[in-house]
Amino acid sequence: MKVLVPVKRVIDYNVKARVKADGSGVDLANVKMSMNPFDEIAVEEAIRLKEKGAVEEIVVVSIGVKQAQETLRTALAMGADRAILVVAADDVHTDIEPLAVAKILAKVVEEEAPKMVILGKQAIDNDMNATGQMLAALLGWGQATFASEVVVEGEAAKVTREVDGGLQTIEVKLPAIVTTDLRLNEPRYASLPNIMKAKKKPLEEKTADDYGVDVTPRLSVVKTEEPQGRSAGIKVGSVDELVAKLKEAGVV
Amino acid sequence: MGSAEALGKDAAAHQKLKMLRERLESDIVTADADIVARYSTDWHGDVTSSALAVLRPRATEEVAQAVRACAELGIGIVPQGGRTGLALGAIPDAPETQVVLSLERMNRIRSLDPADFTAVVEAGMVLEAFKEEVAAQGLFFPLALGAQGSCQLGGNVSTNAGGVNVLRYGMTRELVLGLEVVLPDGRVLDGLSRLRKDNRGLDLKQLFIGAEGTLGIVTAVSVKLMPAPEKVATALLALDSLEDVIELYRRARQQCCDLMSAFEFMPPLAFALAKEGIPDLALPLEPGHEAYALVEISGSGFVDTDVLMERFLELSMGDGLVRDGVVAQSQAQARSIWLVREGMNEGQARRGKHLRTDLSVPLSRLADFVTEAENSIADSLPGAICVSYGHVGDGNVHLNVLPVPDATEPVDDQICRAKAVLNEVLDRYDGSISAEHGLGRLKAMDFGARVPAVQRDLLEAIKRAIDPNLTMNPRCQIVLN
Ligand SMILES: Cc1cc2nc3c(=O)[nH]c(=O)nc-3n(C[C@H](O)[C@H](O)[C@H](O)COP(=O)(O)OP(=O)(O)OC[C@H]3O[C@@H](n4cnc5c(N)ncnc54)[C@H](O)[C@@H]3O)c2cc1C
Ligand SMILES: Cc1cc2nc3c(=O)[nH]c(=O)nc-3n(C[C@H](O)[C@H](O)[C@H](O)COP(=O)(O)OP(=O)(O)OC[C@H]3O[C@@H](n4cnc5c(N)ncnc54)[C@H](O)[C@@H]3O)c2cc1C
Repeated sequence: MKVLVPVKRVIDYNVKARVKADGSGVDLANVKMSMNPFDEIAVEEAIRLKEKGAVEEIVVVSIGVKQAQETLRTALAMGADRAILVVAADDVHTDIEPLAVAKILAKVVEEEAPKMVILGKQAIDNDMNATGQMLAALLGWGQATFASEVVVEGEAAKVTREVDGGLQTIEVKLPAIVTTDLRLNEPRYASLPNIMKAKKKPLEEKTADDYGVDVTPRLSVVKTEEPQGRSAGIKVGSVDELVAKLKEAGVV
Repeated sequence: MGSAEALGKDAAAHQKLKMLRERLESDIVTADADIVARYSTDWHGDVTSSALAVLRPRATEEVAQAVRACAELGIGIVPQGGRTGLALGAIPDAPETQVVLSLERMNRIRSLDPADFTAVVEAGMVLEAFKEEVAAQGLFFPLALGAQGSCQLGGNVSTNAGGVNVLRYGMTRELVLGLEVVLPDGRVLDGLSRLRKDNRGLDLKQLFIGAEGTLGIVTAVSVKLMPAPEKVATALLALDSLEDVIELYRRARQQCCDLMSAFEFMPPLAFALAKEGIPDLALPLEPGHEAYALVEISGSGFVDTDVLMERFLELSMGDGLVRDGVVAQSQAQARSIWLVREGMNEGQARRGKHLRTDLSVPLSRLADFVTEAENSIADSLPGAICVSYGHVGDGNVHLNVLPVPDATEPVDDQICRAKAVLNEVLDRYDGSISAEHGLGRLKAMDFGARVPAVQRDLLEAIKRAIDPNLTMNPRCQIVLN
C-alpha cells in the first residue's frame, strides 16, 4: 500500500523563540528551522512499516514556503520515496491554517489514493492539534489519533493511543488517518549516503492554486507575548523559616 | 560545628584557623569537615586531601583581605574555581597548612556591552551560565568544553582552557582583553581593559593567563564576544583510520571557507564508552568503524552551512575517504551527536581510575605518534586499553590508558608505567605533556624534568618576583618549596 506523510517546516524545537518587536508573531528571520518533531516520528513510522513489508511507497508532502523543500529532502534522506511541495506562501512568517492544509491534503489524497495518512498530532509552532482530525472529516475516513503503536493487519490497522487514563487500543478500517504521539518511535538520523541519494529522488512542485484551495487566513493574531519569566527564588536559613514562608504563600 | 572541625587538626593548625577567623568576616571562613572535604576532592574523586579551611569571599576587596590575612599568617592559598581542572591544580596538597579560596560567590556579570562586543565578568561565574546570558543578547562567547556546566571563567583563564572551538576562535588567551587580579601581597592589579588594541609596553595579563593560580587570584575578566552563529551544521562521520581523519581535516580547512568551528576525532571504542556514560543515548551511526570524526561548520548572515557541509562531504564520500556518516537535521540531533563525544568522558570515568593525558604534537605527526604510542603501551602493558581522541585541528590528543583489570600489578603502578612509556615516545615527537589542561600538581615534576634551563630560570624569577614567600598555590606548576 501507499502511505502519505505530511511534514511541516517549523522553528527548531531547541531554538529559544523570540517575539517580533510589533507582537505580531514569533521572529523567524535567520532562525534554525527543522521538521516538526511529530512529523519526524510520522516519517519514521512509515519507513518502519515499509521495512516490515506493510507499505510499498511513502510520499511526503509539505505545504508552505519554498524553503520547505529542505524539510522534504530530510524526509527523503530518512527513507521516503518521493515528495510533493505545495507552495502556498512567500513569507516564512505566514502560517497556513489547519483547515486550508487539510483541504489541500484532501486533494492530494484524491490524486495519490494512499491507504493511510500518517501525520504529527500537532505542529510545535502553533500547537493546533487539528489537521489530522479535519482531514479525516473531509475524507470521511476513520481516525486513530495520538498513536503510540501502529500495527497493520490486512485491511485494518490496530493502533494504541495515549489517552488520559493510560493506553487505549482501537482498530480502524483502512484507509485511515493516524496521528503520532511522542512515544511512537525514535526517528533515525539521515545518513550521509541517503542524503546524497535523496537529492536524486523526485520532488514535484505545486501551488495551492493547482488544487483550487484558498489559503487566506481566517484567524487573526491579536497579540503574541513571551511567557512570563520565573521569578527569582529565595534561600531560607532554617526549616522553621521554610515552613513560615510556605504558610505565608498559602501552600501549607 | 566546633567538634567536627576540631577533629584531626593539630594545635598549630587550630591556632592558625583561630587567627584567620579573627581577621575575616565569619561567613567567609568555613572549616566544617564535610565542606572542606568537598572542596578538597578532584572531579573524578580520585584524589582527596584536606585544607585548613575554605574561604568564600564575595567581592574583590574580600579576596584581598583574605589574601593579606593568609600572607600575615604564612598560610598557603589554593585558588579554586569549578574544580573541573584535570591537573590537580585546585586541590590542596599540604593537609592543614593551606586554605582553599573558592571564587564561587563572585559570579556576577559586571557589564555586557553589545556595541563593543565585550563583557566584564567575575571570575566565579560558571562558563555555561555566562554563555547563556551572552546568548540572550544575541551574542556568543566561543569557549566550549565538556565541563562548561561547572567550570568557572577564572578557572578557564587560569588554565588557558582550550576546548572544541579552538581551531576557529583560539584558546582562552585569545578571548581575554583584561584581568583584575589580587596579588600575593593583597594588592589589586586593576587591568580590566576593554581595548582590543593596547600596545603600551609589556602585556602583564598574559602572565596570569595559564598561571594556574600561582601568581595571584583572578577576580574578574574582561572578554571578547562574537556575533552568534545563526547556522550550525553538525556531522558525525566514519572513516578507516586516523590518517584518513587527518586527511579529511586538511580538506575541510581548504573547502569550508574557514567556517569550520570544530573537528574532533574519536576511536572505535567511542560508542561503547558513550553508551556506558549515557545509557539511554541513541547512537547516530552504526558502530564498528576504525575512526570517527565530528565536524561542525558555523556561520551567520548569508551563508548556507548545510549546503557547505553537504558539498564538502559529497566530495569525500565520492572518493571513499568517508565511509559513512550522519548530518544532524535538527538541533536535537546535533546535541545527540555531541553527547557521543561527551558521553565518552563519562564512560571512561565509570571504568575506574586510569591514565588521562593531554598531549600535543605537530599535526603532520599525529597519526604516527598515536600508532607508535599505542603499540608501545600494548608491548609494555598487554591487556590495557588505549582510548585516543581529541581535537584534531590542534594536534591535541587525549591518549588515555585504561589499566588491565584484575592484574596483580596495582592500578597506580600500571598508570605510572604507562605514563613513562608515553612520555618517552612523546619526547621523540617534540610534543607537549600538556596541550590544554595545564601542569597543576599532577605534571609539575614531569615538567621540571624536561624544561630547558634558561626557561626554568625565567619561570622561577617571575614566580619569586610576584610571590616571594611562595604562598600562592604552592608546588603547582613549578616546585620551589
Ligand atoms: C568533562 C571535562 C571536560 C573537559 N574538557 C576540557 C577541554 O576540552 N579543554 C580544556 O582546556 N579543558 C578541559 N577540561 C579541564 C577543565 O574543565 C578546564 O581546565 C577548566 O578551565 C578548569 O576550570 P575550573 O573553574 O574548574 O578550575 P579549577 O579546576 O577549579 O582550577 C584549575 C586551576 O586554576 C586555578 N584557578 C581557578 N580559578 C582561579 C582564579 N579565579 N584565580 C586564580 N587561579 C584560579 C586553580 O588553582 C587550578 O590551578 C575538562 C574537564 C572535564 C571534567
Ligand atoms: C608606512 C608605515 C605604515 C605602518 N603601518 C602600521 C600598521 O598598520 N600597524 C602597525 O602596527 N604598525 C605600522 N607601522 C609601524 C611599523 O611598521 C611597525 O611597528 C613594525 O612592526 C616595525 O618593524 P621594524 O622592523 O621596522 O622595527 P624597527 O622600527 O626597527 O624597531 C621597532 C622597535 O622594535 C625593536 N626591535 C626591532 N627589531 C628587533 C629585534 N629583532 N629584537 C628585539 N627588538 C627589536 C627596536 O629596538 C624598536 O624598539 C607602519 C609604519 C610605516 C612607516
